[in-house]
Amino acid sequence: MTATLISLLSVFIGIIAANLTGYFKKKFSFGSTGNTLIGVFGSILFIKSFGRLGFDPLRIMYNGTFHTSLFIINAIVSALGGVFGLILAKFIYRKMNP
Amino acid sequence: MEDMLFYDRMQFAFTITFHYLFPQLTMGLSLMIVYFKWKFLRTQIEKYNDAAKFWMKIFALNFAMGVVTGIPMEFQFGTNWAKFSELTGGIIGQTLAMEGMFSFFLESSFLGLFLFGEKLLGHKLHFLTGFLVFLGSWASGYLIIATHSWMQYPVGYEILENGKFVLTHFGALFSNPWLLPSYLHNQAASLVTSSFVVAAIGAFYLLNNKHNEFGKLFVKTGVVFGLISSLIVAFPTGDWAAKNVAKHQPVTFAAMEGIFETEDGGSEIVLIGQPNMLEKKLDNKIAVPNILSFLTYQEWDAEIKGLNEFDPKDYPTNVPGLYYAYHIMVGLGTIFIGLMLLAAVQLFRKKLYKTKWILWSIMFMLPFPYIANTTGWYTAELGRQPWLVYNLLRTADGASPTVSAGNTLFTLLGFIGLYLLLGLLFLMLAGKIINKGPQLNQH
Repeated sequence: MTATLISLLSVFIGIIAANLTGYFKKKFSFGSTGNTLIGVFGSILFIKSFGRLGFDPLRIMYNGTFHTSLFIINAIVSALGGVFGLILAKFIYRKMNP
Repeated sequence: MEDMLFYDRMQFAFTITFHYLFPQLTMGLSLMIVYFKWKFLRTQIEKYNDAAKFWMKIFALNFAMGVVTGIPMEFQFGTNWAKFSELTGGIIGQTLAMEGMFSFFLESSFLGLFLFGEKLLGHKLHFLTGFLVFLGSWASGYLIIATHSWMQYPVGYEILENGKFVLTHFGALFSNPWLLPSYLHNQAASLVTSSFVVAAIGAFYLLNNKHNEFGKLFVKTGVVFGLISSLIVAFPTGDWAAKNVAKHQPVTFAAMEGIFETEDGGSEIVLIGQPNMLEKKLDNKIAVPNILSFLTYQEWDAEIKGLNEFDPKDYPTNVPGLYYAYHIMVGLGTIFIGLMLLAAVQLFRKKLYKTKWILWSIMFMLPFPYIANTTGWYTAELGRQPWLVYNLLRTADGASPTVSAGNTLFTLLGFIGLYLLLGLLFLMLAGKIINKGPQLNQH
C-alpha cells in the first residue's frame, strides 16, 4: 500500500527538480507551469523505465519493509527525470521552433 | 473485514473523486479547443487561435494533474482489490490496457505537438494535432466507460470453475447496451463542466474589465456550448441512461428515486424528501403524481417496483447516499439549463455582457458542474453496490484479504495530504495562467 504513496512522492520530487532546474538555469525554463508539467512526465518516464532495475515502489516496500537505500535511489532517479525531461523538452522545442 | 472493506472503499472513492476533477474538464475542453482552432482556420481572426492556445495551457495542466492522480488508481486495483483483479482481470484488463496504450498515448503525443509545433506544422496540421488530442481524450473516456459498463451489466463472459471470468466475445464489450447511453451522458456532462469553466473565466474578465475581447468570446462560446450540452445531458442521454437503470437494475432505480412502496396507478416523482430507513419511507416529501411512470414508460399508470419488492440484502448499501447523489445531480442539471437559457436570451438580445447579475451567477456557478458530475458518478457507483460486478461478484468478495484496515487508513491519510498539496499547486498554476490571460497575436 505504501508503494502507491511512494509513486506519488516520486512525481513530486520530479516536479521540484524540474522547477529548481528552471529557476537556476533560465535557458531551460518553460515557466513554472511548463516546468511542473515536464517534471510530472519526466519523473514518470524515468521511474517507469529504470525502476524495474530494482528500485520501483513495489521493491522499496518489498515484504512490507521500507528499504531506505532503494527509496533514495528512486528519489534521485525521479529528480533526474525532472531535470533531463526539462533539457529534452527544451531541445525538442528549439528544434520545432528554430 | 468490515473495517478493511470500508477503508478500501473510502480510499478508492477519495482518489477517484479527486482524479475525476481533471478528466471531466479535459474531455469537454478538448472539443472547445478544436472549435476555437477551426473557427480560426475559417475566419483567420487571430483571437480564435490565441483562445485555442490559452485553453490548451489550462488543458495541459489539467492533463498532467489527471496523470498524477491516475497513478494510484492502477496501483489500487492490485493492492486493495487484488481478488477483483485476479477474477476479472481477463476482461477489464482488455479495456484498461487499451485506454493506456491507445488513447493516452495518442492524447499525450499530440498534446506535445499542439503545444510546441505550431510554427513547424502550420495551421492546418496544428488543427489536426488539436483534433487528435480531442480524439484521444474522448477515446480514453470511451474505454473507461466500457469497463464501467461491463461491471454494471456484464456481457460476453464465462465463469471458469476457479471463479475467474474470461472473455468469450470481445465485441460484446463494445456493443454492451449500458455503454452508449452512459458514454454520451458522461461526455455531455463533461462538456457542461468545460462550458461553465470557459464562461466563468470570461465572466471574470468582463467583471474585472480586463481582456475584454476574450472575456466576450469566452462567455459567448461557454453559454452556447453550455446550453446545448446541459439540454443533451437531460435529454436524450440522461433519460436513456435512467431507463437503462430501470430496466436492468430495478432495485437501484427504486432507491435513487426514493420509492419505498410500489404504488398502484402510477408512480410519483419526488422533488424533495429525506429517506427514513427505519420506517422505510420518505420524510417531508414534495412529489408530483404519475410523472415518474410517464417519464420511464410513457404511460401515466405504469407500475414501478418499490424497494419493498426486493430482498433487503440486494438493496444498494447506502440508499440515502444514492438518493441524495441522484437528486443533487438532477437538481443542479435543471439549474444549469435555467441559467444558460437566461444567458442565451440575453446574448440573443445583445445585452449579456452588460447584465452583471448573470455574469456573477455564471462565475459563481463554476464549482457546481464539478459537483453535479461527481454526484452523477456516485449515483452510478453507489447504485451498483453491493456488487462489484452486478449480480455476480459482491464488493466484499473483491477486496484484498491480506491488507489491513490500518494500512489502508495510513495510505488514505497520505493521499489526502499529498492531494492537498497537489490541489494547491494546481490552483496556484491555473490562477497564474488565468490572471495573465490570453495574449493577442502571441507567437
